[in-house]
Amino acid sequence: MAIDEKFSSIRKGLLEFLLLRIISADKVYVAEMLERLSATQFATQEGTLYPLLSKLRREELLDYDWRESDAGPPRKYYKLTAKGRTQLAELNRYWKRINTTIEELGHSE
Amino acid sequence: MNTVITVNLNGNAYQLDERGFESLRAYLDSAEAQLASNPDKAEILSDIEQAIADKCRRYLNPHKSVVVAVELDRILAEMGPVESETGETAADSEGQRNAPDTPQSRADAPRRLYQIREGSMISGVCNGLAAYFSVDVTIVRIVFVALTILTGSLWILAYILMMFIIPDATTSEERAAAHGQPFNAQQLVDGAKERYAEFRQQLRRERRAAAAERAFWRGERAYEEVGYATRVVAGFMVPVFTLIGAALFVVVIIAIVSLFKTGGIFDWALPPEIPVWGAIVILAIVYQAVHMPLRAASRASYEASAGQRHGWLAAADGVLWLGFAALFFWLAYLFIPDVRSLFESVPFEWRHPLDAWHAF
Repeated sequence: MAIDEKFSSIRKGLLEFLLLRIISADKVYVAEMLERLSATQFATQEGTLYPLLSKLRREELLDYDWRESDAGPPRKYYKLTAKGRTQLAELNRYWKRINTTIEELGHSE
Repeated sequence: MNTVITVNLNGNAYQLDERGFESLRAYLDSAEAQLASNPDKAEILSDIEQAIADKCRRYLNPHKSVVVAVELDRILAEMGPVESETGETAADSEGQRNAPDTPQSRADAPRRLYQIREGSMISGVCNGLAAYFSVDVTIVRIVFVALTILTGSLWILAYILMMFIIPDATTSEERAAAHGQPFNAQQLVDGAKERYAEFRQQLRRERRAAAAERAFWRGERAYEEVGYATRVVAGFMVPVFTLIGAALFVVVIIAIVSLFKTGGIFDWALPPEIPVWGAIVILAIVYQAVHMPLRAASRASYEASAGQRHGWLAAADGVLWLGFAALFFWLAYLFIPDVRSLFESVPFEWRHPLDAWHAF
């Protein structure tokens, strides 16, 4: 799909932002993140997600704790750190500005 | 006879065939190469191994202790290539486009109408419709209640018909199709929801199977013999379940028609405090309660007798079910006078919907 490809790098770049948003709403584990994303244009696979999460953790934006689950081995539940929350707030503001810019430039047919 | 290789995936023992082992090693090697400069390499790799292990478990059952190459390839396609985060864009979008199985390429996965039992109130019809049209299930339920009131409880009959006609989403593949979601993500979630007890039981079985495997070909043969006997029994049970199911269906339909016509079930009149629609709902729930274990049992028999690919058996069984149901209707009509008079008292339009349509 041509449109899909035009936005592929943008989608890529937004993934981090979306992950922060998903994690900010609730403590989640990886399968939940994948599920939330699966129905969207941002569908992702484990191969991409795990390296990205570890990078975000290294940047101290998020952290996890191990939690027992009644449905298998213990899972990592991710949550935002204080730094992650401030960064998310900034990203949200920035994203809003981008949106208004797009709205203001020309007509959306 | 194939050689089996036991691997340790983040602390879980799994048995793979030789080709499967090769693909897994290639995948993990390339992941390791991608993450070479990543400080969290060890942790990411163990997360990845754990995810693969979870996916492997889905392909194992009491009669199958080895993950074969085709299955492993499917698992690795679901996982997607492991990407280093530095220099992401280039290598990355390339990999995304080339991998045949990425979610993006299947973003418009086929959407099918199913009954979804999880979180349902009666049978999951509303739940399935909600998923199909991507609306809130509460809205669908309100519409159904409104329709019930507007049609003078005739809509309940429509609901019951849908209950029979719309298939159940029992596998994760079907549940994904019900939402029009790409299959892999949903499957991961379902896999994760599997009970921990089952997992441990599985491990115990695997250990036993591994011991048998060590005794070389003897293990293979024992598996074949037990498998065959089970398959024969299961194959015999499939039509029996179908027969019981069809008989149950006919009894319920006759009871519902009788309720509509006479306000009771044949000679037995309803207690005055229960309205007709209430009785129908109760009947539907009772039917569902009896029917559900029956359906589960027949499904298990499919799998035992025809293995993973039981689609053809399910289809043949559906035809058999229709035949049984028609036969029972006919028998009831012939030999039970009450049923006969009941059907003769049904208005003409009901019996001959096509004629009524033309006259209209």
